[in-house]
Amino acid sequence: MDALKVQNLTKQFGKFKAVDTISFDLKKGEILGLLGPNGAGKTTTIQMLLGVLSPTSGSISYFGKDFNKNREEILEKVNFSSTYTNLPWNLTVRENLTYTSYLYDIPNRKEQLYKIIEAFRLHKLQNQTLTELSAGQLTRVNLAKAFVNDPDVLLLDEPTSSLDPEVAKMVRDFILSERSNKELSIVFTSHNMSEVEEVCDRILFINNGIIVADDTPENLMKSLDTVRVRLVMSPKYLTSVLSFGNQNQASVHLEDREYLIELKENQVPNLLAYLSDHKMKYYEISIDKPDLEDYFLYIAGQNKNRDL
Amino acid sequence: MKIHRIYAILLRNLYLFRRSYDRLADSFYWITLDLLTWGITGVYFQSFSPESQNIVFMLISGVVLWNLVYRTQSDINVSLLEELWNKNLINLFVSPLKFSEFISGLVILGVVKAMISLMFGTLLAWLFFHISIFSYSIHLVFFFLSLVLTGIWVGFMISSIILRFGTRIQTLAWTFVWIISPFSAIYYPLETLPNWAQYISRALPTSYVFEQGRNLLLHDQINYQMLAVSFVLNAIYIVGAFQFLKSSFRKVLQKGLVKVY
Repeated sequence: MDALKVQNLTKQFGKFKAVDTISFDLKKGEILGLLGPNGAGKTTTIQMLLGVLSPTSGSISYFGKDFNKNREEILEKVNFSSTYTNLPWNLTVRENLTYTSYLYDIPNRKEQLYKIIEAFRLHKLQNQTLTELSAGQLTRVNLAKAFVNDPDVLLLDEPTSSLDPEVAKMVRDFILSERSNKELSIVFTSHNMSEVEEVCDRILFINNGIIVADDTPENLMKSLDTVRVRLVMSPKYLTSVLSFGNQNQASVHLEDREYLIELKENQVPNLLAYLSDHKMKYYEISIDKPDLEDYFLYIAGQNKNRDL
Repeated sequence: MKIHRIYAILLRNLYLFRRSYDRLADSFYWITLDLLTWGITGVYFQSFSPESQNIVFMLISGVVLWNLVYRTQSDINVSLLEELWNKNLINLFVSPLKFSEFISGLVILGVVKAMISLMFGTLLAWLFFHISIFSYSIHLVFFFLSLVLTGIWVGFMISSIILRFGTRIQTLAWTFVWIISPFSAIYYPLETLPNWAQYISRALPTSYVFEQGRNLLLHDQINYQMLAVSFVLNAIYIVGAFQFLKSSFRKVLQKGLVKVY
């Protein structure tokens, strides 16, 4: 059974369709990345998944049950954390977590609070009000709040932004261990593409309110067949390299002695042969395959072109 | 309804009171000022006509009882505003918390603070003016209930408006209820008002309470039918105001809780 199933979900604000008939599912134990440029519809989608924004049409079901009809039961096992929402700032960390724990039907409340305070290294901060915490510490409190009910489905909106690399890694490790220990399912948004690559099993790419891609990070990256070849060699070869670029529809940039050539992956042997045939001596060479960031920029670029 | 979720709302506010001295002080500050101002004024007027023995009692009991309406209403609204100021509504409603549970928590807080304020006002009246509000005997319970109910429905109405328009109209939380005070006949008989105003008064549950309070004080009798009218009106207004509040919340969900502040 899917942990979450979304069918034809639409949200319209006046004439503007923020989310346009999107459908997807989230398997048990799966981490699904929700990516897209700013204003693509990610946050609107997450808000509808949490019931704090009414959809215009479409349906959402968790654990095979209709969200609209079983809101209370479902939200006992769902939680959320976002860098962009606040907790009451004049309450201490412990007070925030304690009162939040009473919003849920938790049998072993004290043990659960102790567990998350330890997991997010909050024991030294627990008696401080949120006004006394740094942005990174606040993010940790927000995340701890999301685990207070030991959820089965977690919606995380940029959970590790404003965290230093060490704490961000600790948080990622905690999320991954929770996923393997209890098959926690997660919807995850982030602008940190290497993090998304590391954490997510599958990625939904949203643009202009519609899903433009739904695949594993590896397959999305493979879908871009352009590679980047970096060569360090004499600028005197520029004319020859440009000539290769024209013949093979490759883009060529030269900065100082560094050439950056973007071309189709299957043309790399041709380039190497061309360099050899023309006796062009290079000192360094590297070939970079496209990563998720390239894919993101590609989709965002398409969006920009359409807007223009 | 789940008790633990209502308790969560109470706990969240009790934690807040520990550090928010203004939220605690408002239960004592205004009633002290009002009581002293009106009490001393009453004592002064009574010095002109010593035969008007009840004038100080009428003014003091008016202050203490009206404070019940204001306190209940204001605490419901300020507790809601507190969630808006903290942008915390989204955190509350991503949990299983029901809107009715959230409102129940706010109502309990409002009523408890109104009771504390009543006790405090009663103590001050006795200390400064040797007046005991308990002279109303068992009727004080009816007066208390009716006035608290009025505070609740006025609180619901203002909450509805705040939910729809956000904190830019937050001043209503402290000012709106005073619109009904001149029509409530707190310190003077209803007949003192012009005819058109009397129609408005008769539509307000508060006017029946204060009229019967005076009736009890001056004539030692009470018209229970009139008190019953105040409860019927309160019941009608509470149902109507709660429906308005629920529809406002549904409307807010159309644009998203994250946009309410």
